[in-house]
Amino acid sequence: MLTLAYPSGVESDSYASALDDAEPDDAVLARRIAAAGPGLAAAAEAELYRRLAPRVRLYGLKHLRERHAAADLAQQVLLMTIERLRAGQVREPERLASYVLGMCRMVVLDLQRTHARHERLLGTFAHDLSGEQPASTPHLDDASLLRCLERLPERERSILVMTFYDDRQAREVATDLGISEGNVRVIRHRGLERLRECMNGHEAAP
Amino acid sequence: MNRPGCSAPVPPITLLEYWLGELDETAEAQLEEHLLGCSNCAGQLQALVELDHGVRKLVQRGRLRGVFTDALPKRLAEGGLHVREYRVPRDGSVHCTIAPDDDVVVARLEVPLADVRQLDLLVLSTEGQGHERLERVPFNASESEVVVVPSADLLRSLPVSTMRMQLIAVEHGSDRLIGEYTFNHTPWAQLQK
Repeated sequence: MLTLAYPSGVESDSYASALDDAEPDDAVLARRIAAAGPGLAAAAEAELYRRLAPRVRLYGLKHLRERHAAADLAQQVLLMTIERLRAGQVREPERLASYVLGMCRMVVLDLQRTHARHERLLGTFAHDLSGEQPASTPHLDDASLLRCLERLPERERSILVMTFYDDRQAREVATDLGISEGNVRVIRHRGLERLRECMNGHEAAP
Repeated sequence: MNRPGCSAPVPPITLLEYWLGELDETAEAQLEEHLLGCSNCAGQLQALVELDHGVRKLVQRGRLRGVFTDALPKRLAEGGLHVREYRVPRDGSVHCTIAPDDDVVVARLEVPLADVRQLDLLVLSTEGQGHERLERVPFNASESEVVVVPSADLLRSLPVSTMRMQLIAVEHGSDRLIGEYTFNHTPWAQLQK
């Protein structure tokens, strides 16, 4: 069984020396892991895990739409990836992203099957869990977001809310509003730009 | 925004299209490979996902006001939120409140919209404390109603009061009043006495 034991807080000599390059790219880290014996490139493995975990979690959120499932995906995919790097089974480390994408697809299929079972169980116990709310997003300031949304022109705010509330595509929002999909895309684009500008500290000019 | 460390930064709107599943299969696969290899663009997507979740949370907590169509309150109710609705006839009035367990309050303003090109909403307080004009509010001409969602925070803070709303069709630069609506608000606690 694969184990990953990385230093936390204190950097050992081996941990520091394994990251001699200021910012080695992913492929360099992958080659270091492949070239070293199993478990002998701990620093490179830790760094690769640290970089890839949030990216794989995002892939999981997109395809599984559930935070815990996305976290499970990241863990499974990265453990399998590092295990195969250690074993020299990743033929083209410079195309690591492509390899990880393949792993993500495979594991997502498996998790979707598990999730379907989980949903059936959830359906059984839904009345006990109906009070649960999604966890808050740790990095976003709600007050700033509210202020920035309030400053948007009405149509842009409405279309962004209709889009984000349950991830509605432009054609669905267009149907709701009785306007063209192209029109929704234009308003949505403008609204998103203004919202991002405002959230980045610039004022949203209507 | 151009970010250092990425030779081909993905525009935010493309990331949104990806997140919503609007890209075709090939474009989605290419973008996913890029995102799995690029911390900068993955960070941009993360920021977008946080916006998405943040907006959803504000809506669910009734903190966000706005003008929508019938589709949004339907989905809020389907999502398990407690939605209190008031249907107000054209030039009519309604007695209204917000209960402690209400998540969202919805006002459905009935109005014929078939010939309307631009619609503004004027919100007036009867105590002469000014007004607010919301320009170019969204509407679906086939629905014959405008769906207004006020901030639940604001409603909970209101004393006994009256608020009026006017719907104004803007035609060739001039205004035409097409509906007026009066809301007589009483705080929930006072209704229980």
